[in-house]
Amino acid sequence: MIADTWHLFNKYMRITIRMPLWSLFTLIQPLIWLLIFAQLFRNFVQLPGTDGNNYMEFMIPGILIMTVLFGSSWSGVSLLREITSGTVDKMLVAPVSRVAIVLSRVLHSAVQVITQSIIILIVAWIFGGITTINLFYLLLGMIIVFLLGVAFASLSNGFAITLQREEPLVMIGNLMTLPLMFLSSAFVPKHFMPDWIQVIALINPISYAVEAIRTVFIDTPDMAVFLKGFVIVLIFSGAALTWAVTAFNSLRD
Amino acid sequence: MDKYAIQIKQLTKIYPPNHKALDELDLCVNASEVMALLGPNGAGKTTTIRVLSTLSGFDSGQVMVGGLDVDIAPDKVRQTIGVVAQQTGIDYFLTGRENMRLQGQLYHMKSNDINDRISELAEYFDLTGQLDNVVTTYSGGIRRKLDIATALIHRPKILFLDEPTLGLDIRSRKVLWKHIRELNTNFGLTILLTTHYLEEADSLSHRVAIINTGKIQIIGTPDELKNSIKGDSVVVSFEKVDKNEQAFSYLAKQQDYIKDSVWVGNNLHLYVADGAESVPKLMMLASKNQIEVKSLALSRPSLDDVFLKYTGSSMQTPQQETTDEWWKQWAGKGGGKWQGKWDNSDSSDKEQQEAGEETWENNQWSSSTNQWNDENTPHTGEPQDTKKPADTWPDKNQWENKS
Repeated sequence: MIADTWHLFNKYMRITIRMPLWSLFTLIQPLIWLLIFAQLFRNFVQLPGTDGNNYMEFMIPGILIMTVLFGSSWSGVSLLREITSGTVDKMLVAPVSRVAIVLSRVLHSAVQVITQSIIILIVAWIFGGITTINLFYLLLGMIIVFLLGVAFASLSNGFAITLQREEPLVMIGNLMTLPLMFLSSAFVPKHFMPDWIQVIALINPISYAVEAIRTVFIDTPDMAVFLKGFVIVLIFSGAALTWAVTAFNSLRD
Repeated sequence: MDKYAIQIKQLTKIYPPNHKALDELDLCVNASEVMALLGPNGAGKTTTIRVLSTLSGFDSGQVMVGGLDVDIAPDKVRQTIGVVAQQTGIDYFLTGRENMRLQGQLYHMKSNDINDRISELAEYFDLTGQLDNVVTTYSGGIRRKLDIATALIHRPKILFLDEPTLGLDIRSRKVLWKHIRELNTNFGLTILLTTHYLEEADSLSHRVAIINTGKIQIIGTPDELKNSIKGDSVVVSFEKVDKNEQAFSYLAKQQDYIKDSVWVGNNLHLYVADGAESVPKLMMLASKNQIEVKSLALSRPSLDDVFLKYTGSSMQTPQQETTDEWWKQWAGKGGGKWQGKWDNSDSSDKEQQEAGEETWENNQWSSSTNQWNDENTPHTGEPQDTKKPADTWPDKNQWENKS
């Protein structure tokens, strides 16, 4: 299974590397947010109740999460394409591990969003959004990015298999990404939210991911917050992956 | 290996809610035999291949491939078989070599072995020059060859080809036929292919199984099948079918020299013991009853006539594919969306052929002895002629080149 996953993962990576522009396209929106919205809302931090810091600094974890969601939530679209074009059948007639087919796609997606996140971080650094970089904490942040990528790529693949159609999949992709992001503490501190949104933010795994990333990007990280986020995202991605694999295994008609 | 490479007993498959795709289908394919499953769209050809290649489950029956039960040992079956599906499963963004290597890796082959096999297959299929180009640059015929080459990477004993030449031009088709034939004669590969091209079944296969509505209607060598219709076939075409013509067909049936008759559109197919003798008799009969006959054609029975006899519908009249619900067309469980595209390309093929037929008719066909169907009956291929279909292909190439 590991070998199968590796070979298929290689194939997807090769295709991605052959079309580098595609990966850049998904970066455009997070970059717009980073460069324009961070400027637009820069005075936001002067409101009472915020800590008066650089808003870009506050926003960067949110932008990273956004990159992850935008980058990984479309993984299912290409699975559908592979199903309709017969590529999946071609894999299935070989004695290849069924789990590997989903796993390789999800891993590819997660690795892709890590690369994108690093590009975002470099841009943010150039524009002064990041002041201190500690490689160890950066690595911790990337673990969260990776897990969240796995989670959303799995969800997307799972929905692709259950919906079997592109339009509703794109709709669900949109439904998953934007509201979940705004219903989390990605762009505003929790105590700024109305009560009901706070409740949603409380059960939204994205909130915990954001906070885990946010804490490792400040000078004195709170490891308890990070671990809490890590565990929650780990469970979330594990559950999503299991669901996607189960859905794929039941694909046989 | 057993005597039978493939053994299917009482295979039934129902697509929910209650579309019976396969209905207690029985089929045995001998080892090292080329068998063609011939049938219209929606007859169950692809479903049969999907069940045999472990892609689809089934409701009841037993399916043995290479002596192994597909339900009990699917992974072992997968090692024994190579599958070329209707849609090319080739990845367009990879090169030919990468596609073949990946497929070899998925069969858990050793790296050296894969490389040897790639050069071997590339040489065999004349792909060596193109091997390191991305597949998007390939033509349809070369893609097909690559598709077959990837399916053979792990040296399977049994090869399934689902509509191998669908959508290909005539030259690519002939090249592919040659390869398929040689795979069987040189390497003893058992080949089960599906097709709805009569001439393909006729020229490639040892035996033909005509399938319709999920059942095998008849099975035998192409000649056996043609001989099962004793005598000749006479096709009487009318401008229109009205009471008079109906009466004529009734009268014709009364004649003792006519054994069987079937209406296909405006054409009345009659099966007679001796064609040459019955044509004047039929003309007499028509003129005596003052019925205008547009044309009269005499031919040796073709597979189409066999098909007509056993299914009651002509292969030459386009079969309406049963349309699934919208979501099923996307379900990829048979490639609904793509199948639609294939069918479109197929119908444009037919238009092309029809266009050619007109010139043909003018040039070399005399309507008194031979008949070329009227314009509203699209052909799937060969003329109903005494010549073997293969002999007529060069002529077709001529008009293809002209246009």
